[in-house]
Amino acid sequence: MAAADQEIFIEGHPCVVVDGVQMRYRVASSESHSGDDEGRKRLWGRPLRKSNLVTVHALNELSLVVERGESVGIIGRNGSGKSTLMKIISGQSKPTNGAVYASSTPIMLGVNAALVQDLSGDQNVILGCLAMGMSRAEAEEKFESIVELSGLEKSIHLPMKSYSSGMASRLRFAIAAAVDPEILLVDEALNTGDAQFADRSKRRMDELRAQAGCVFLVSHSLDTIRDMCSRVVWLDKGDLIMDGDPTAAIAAYQEFTKELSAGNNISAAAILENAKAELVATEIRERSSRRVRG
Amino acid sequence: MSADTELAPDPAVQPLSVDMRRLTRVGSRPGFLDYLVQLWDFRQFIFYDSRARVQSGTRRDRLGSAWLLLNPIFNGLTYYLIFGLLLHTSGGIKNFVGYLVIGIFTFQFSSGAITSGARSIRNNKSVVQAFNFPRAALPIGANMRELLAAVPLILAMLLITVVLPPAEKITWLWLLVVPAVLLQALFNLGVGLILARMISRINDVTHLIPFALRAWMYLSAIFYTYDRFVTHPQVLAIIKLNPLFNVIDIIRDCVLYAKVPQWQSWAILCAWALGTLAVGLVYFWKGEESYGRG
Repeated sequence: MAAADQEIFIEGHPCVVVDGVQMRYRVASSESHSGDDEGRKRLWGRPLRKSNLVTVHALNELSLVVERGESVGIIGRNGSGKSTLMKIISGQSKPTNGAVYASSTPIMLGVNAALVQDLSGDQNVILGCLAMGMSRAEAEEKFESIVELSGLEKSIHLPMKSYSSGMASRLRFAIAAAVDPEILLVDEALNTGDAQFADRSKRRMDELRAQAGCVFLVSHSLDTIRDMCSRVVWLDKGDLIMDGDPTAAIAAYQEFTKELSAGNNISAAAILENAKAELVATEIRERSSRRVRG
Repeated sequence: MSADTELAPDPAVQPLSVDMRRLTRVGSRPGFLDYLVQLWDFRQFIFYDSRARVQSGTRRDRLGSAWLLLNPIFNGLTYYLIFGLLLHTSGGIKNFVGYLVIGIFTFQFSSGAITSGARSIRNNKSVVQAFNFPRAALPIGANMRELLAAVPLILAMLLITVVLPPAEKITWLWLLVVPAVLLQALFNLGVGLILARMISRINDVTHLIPFALRAWMYLSAIFYTYDRFVTHPQVLAIIKLNPLFNVIDIIRDCVLYAKVPQWQSWAILCAWALGTLAVGLVYFWKGEESYGRG
């Protein structure tokens, strides 16, 4: 391919650059080796023997450049590395290789942002605001709107540990949504809470998206992705499969999942292979020291 | 995407030249001085975190905050029964009750602060993963909390030495307790920072802390005097380098014996406090990127 040898110059300053990011874990597996010694030996051997470590490839090497104004939807099956990628972009976990560069601190709106169980809801609100770098006065200012968005009313004065999981995730969402981030990451945040909260949170999300420089969205709802995103990234088992126009990517993904649920693993694999073969992976070349060519 | 007829399994690669000058790496560790400035910017978070948790720490108990006092008092009684009345380690010590109470209360401040500082990262993993703030804010907050909780403890300690016979007289020297306790707090923070990073990597260290603290307590001349048991002068000199022994010694000199503490004690204490704090801050800062993981 001729184009592959030519560098493409990205004008201006992108919001997020994901540069060759890769994620591997070493975890202990409970699967036993075949041919293990039985009985006594195993009982004594276990604490000393090197445990059965398995390398999990959560995310294979991946590069993306996201410019201002783009909203990127990330789709894929369970365990495809969507959340891993989001965690890496938000800085919550450090990739095994590669790095993420961003023009400002990305803020993750998720339901997994647990808070301090022993403190009451209102103390958690202030603490969360301060942890995001607000001053005490700013936190007090935002307080009313956070409590209103969470819809917790009087329960806000009770300790967090007395909350139902729905209440807790509503509060977490409300706290995280209190800042107006330039780079916004949303991980299935809209799927919690009752209908009334879903409505309120969607409105706040729309406001945030309108203000944000760029948005990353992980959702299992393809309609949400189609409505909100200008670009779609499809991941499968840690590999990048497609990166581009939402309509094409969603159509291919839907066909893939349809074949899978019909049990046609071979044709599903063929779809995957085709998409992969057409993929043009990006390679980041830094241009900080060189002069910018027209 | 141009038509690509290659059947090669490796996807084509498109180099992208990106201007990275305005981008910073997500989750990257700032320079050491910047880190200290960041910590200062998060001072309101630290204060709020420590204050809120002092209040909530004993909320579940019927007697509430009274346990902050009752705990060391019962502890003191136990040691008085065993070492004072049964084992007679008190031989030759004037005002053994005062001697014992000062030793135990002062040591408990350190053991509590070191334990909670060491566990502050591991126990607040959810907060670490949810928000981006300089992680040292957590051990500092934990130590601040212990210092706040130590204020009634120290007042009770002084009250006991005044009330219980043989009652001591209040002198101006009592004011020297304040700098001694502050230096002790800095030392606690330094040890806490070092342990916090170790525990975040190897959780097993948590189990060793109680043993180490127990051994340290027996070595700190709380219910006996060194001079009675250690006869070798060089060994005695080495043992007297123990920072906690020096704090306790300074406070005993001020409160019980109404004599100005030796400058050597202050020098040893200062060296330990500032040295440990410096080492702790640098060591903790070096691991800054690793605390959100797993």
